[in-house]
Amino acid sequence: MTSHATPRRGATYELQRGYRLMMVPAILAVGIFAIVPLAGMFGLAFSDYHLIRGTNWDFGFQNFAKMLSDKRLMNSIYVMAALSFFGVALQVLIGSAVAVGLQKITGKWRVGRILFLLPYAVPHVAVALIWLSLFTPTLSPINAFFDLFGITVPAFLTSQWGAITAIVIADTWTNFPFAMLIIMAALQGISPDLEEAAAIDGATRVKTFIYITLPLLAPALLMVTLFRFIDSLKHFPMIFVMTKGGPGRSTQATNFYAYVQTFQNSNVAYGAAIAVMLFLMAALISYYVAKLNQRVTT
Amino acid sequence: MKHLFTAALVSSFALAAPVAPTAAQAEEINVLMFGMPYTVGLAKLADDFEAETGIKANIDVVGQDVFESRITLSFTGGTGDIDVVHTPVIQVQRWIQAGWLQPMTDLVSEETTSDILAGPLGAYDVNGDQWALPFFAGVGLMSYREDLLEAAGAEVPQTWAEMLDVAAKITTDDQAAIALRAVPGQGFNMFIFPMVMRAYGGTFFADYEGGDLTPAINSPENLEALNVYVKLINDYGPAGAGNFNFAEVKAAAENGQVAFTVEGTGIISQLVDPAKSQFADVTGIALPPGGPAGRSPAIGVHGMGIPASAPNPEASARFIEWAVSSETVAKIAMSESFPDFTTASVAQNPEVIAKYAAIHPDFLTMRVAALDLAIGHYRPLIPEWPALGQAIGESVNAAINGLMTPEEALEQADADMRDILGL
Repeated sequence: MTSHATPRRGATYELQRGYRLMMVPAILAVGIFAIVPLAGMFGLAFSDYHLIRGTNWDFGFQNFAKMLSDKRLMNSIYVMAALSFFGVALQVLIGSAVAVGLQKITGKWRVGRILFLLPYAVPHVAVALIWLSLFTPTLSPINAFFDLFGITVPAFLTSQWGAITAIVIADTWTNFPFAMLIIMAALQGISPDLEEAAAIDGATRVKTFIYITLPLLAPALLMVTLFRFIDSLKHFPMIFVMTKGGPGRSTQATNFYAYVQTFQNSNVAYGAAIAVMLFLMAALISYYVAKLNQRVTT
Repeated sequence: MKHLFTAALVSSFALAAPVAPTAAQAEEINVLMFGMPYTVGLAKLADDFEAETGIKANIDVVGQDVFESRITLSFTGGTGDIDVVHTPVIQVQRWIQAGWLQPMTDLVSEETTSDILAGPLGAYDVNGDQWALPFFAGVGLMSYREDLLEAAGAEVPQTWAEMLDVAAKITTDDQAAIALRAVPGQGFNMFIFPMVMRAYGGTFFADYEGGDLTPAINSPENLEALNVYVKLINDYGPAGAGNFNFAEVKAAAENGQVAFTVEGTGIISQLVDPAKSQFADVTGIALPPGGPAGRSPAIGVHGMGIPASAPNPEASARFIEWAVSSETVAKIAMSESFPDFTTASVAQNPEVIAKYAAIHPDFLTMRVAALDLAIGHYRPLIPEWPALGQAIGESVNAAINGLMTPEEALEQADADMRDILGL
């Protein structure tokens, strides 16, 4: 017995050591490029680091206290919430619809699987430049087309809700393929037997989708919503290129506001505090969505 | 403790920023610039510098947003990976205050500085030290469509008030009169709006030159100027003009959608260039309009400085001297669209004169006239300017787009200025 047990423990140990070694690059990458900078960001957030006013390296909660009375920050959260809510909702909705369509469709239309991925491959700055042109009346072929019929298309980028709509459209265009990919993968994991069984039992296609497919897609839908939502908290290139935060300050989302505080106002500590707040928001949301996901899957 | 956090800050940006090679040897230097015709031309001449001096220059020309991230992480961390840095004059005071630059007073020769226009050179003279050498001085000029003016029976407007009258005559359902930068930002609408402001006698501070930096942005003069600026853009500009930046302004002029633009020389030189604009042959150049307080053409100066953390300042200075030398600048003026040089002797170069005279006979004359009128502190040369310009620009843009009245916008700008200045 003993003579057999020792080599078995050795084999397990070797195997475990192999698994641990496989994780080393990821641990190093996360440690060096995520945990250390994150610790630095937390430290700066509690400091008084300012490029112009001078720094005494006094640590405290002053930046977080300032946030409570900062109307610009509140405005930026409101803008971010609008961009995130409408953007993510549209991306998941359109991505899901296209995924379901592509899964069922046959023939040449299946080329859509590649075609619809293209917007996702375009760099965000290029996407923003494309949509800036489309939303600028003097440059836009859309405006030129409607002008032929005497119809004037309103200028989106000169009103708050118009500019938010424009950014949501640009963001949706480039990011819906991500939702589509995840949902398509999830759909492929659902056994066709289930649909066939439902059909034999007399369920309509709509009922089958609502009562069979949709519940099975729920974990994927939650995951894609979470990923897109966290990403949407980092809104920057679209705003920087399309509106520069305008009109006025009406498209300054929180991440853009952190940029203004850090790079324009030289208030590095306050910019870091805003970044910490964004990080905690994302972490908190991720935690609750993960718990919800667990409940859905069980 | 400071180094711990600055190092952490540096690493926090490290993922987003491309890693620049460190100049491990004295024979190699890293130059970081952002995209402009001059910097693009300079990058093409890197081999010339190496052939002349034996020093290899890695000239990295990046977008302005990437540039800001790169310098912030490099300078706050004191990494020493940048030997020469693009130094816009509006940033120089802030960078000096932050301890990001080192003076080059003793590193550059009298021979070099004596060939640089005094105004732009002086803009980098702070507290008795020279912090950068300029390579670019762009000034505000006006372009106008001669054919549209003639059809409207109007003369070239000399003041902003006249511009309002002429614009009203030209504007129809199919033709806008003027395109101006409106998008918020100290380098965007705040490059243009101060031309109107100063023409009406408006200022940013109670007495900038006397040292009284009490905000004066909500003065009656500035209000009058803002009303004019808003009216020009909203009543006489093309649709969507409230979000125009220089690219949209240039496109509107090139496509014949407007009769006037007031822009920097870099844009104006392209509007009158037959190779670049279909209306170039009917486009004229004039000084920007003035007002009761005269004319104040915009001015933007760019130069090259040596970061405080640069390990080999002598090599950095050698590069800068070569980059602003008559020979190098003339080559760039010939290869790129770059008439904004600050090296005086290049203006005597017959090839350069011929090239820009061929584009438009009035161009170089008007540029010199505008440079004569421009004031160095057109945009205040104080460390807080980037923050102030951003805040005022946002309020001005809010007024253009009807989110605030001009009065409210200037009150908001005043409150923001006081907050930024800690008053």
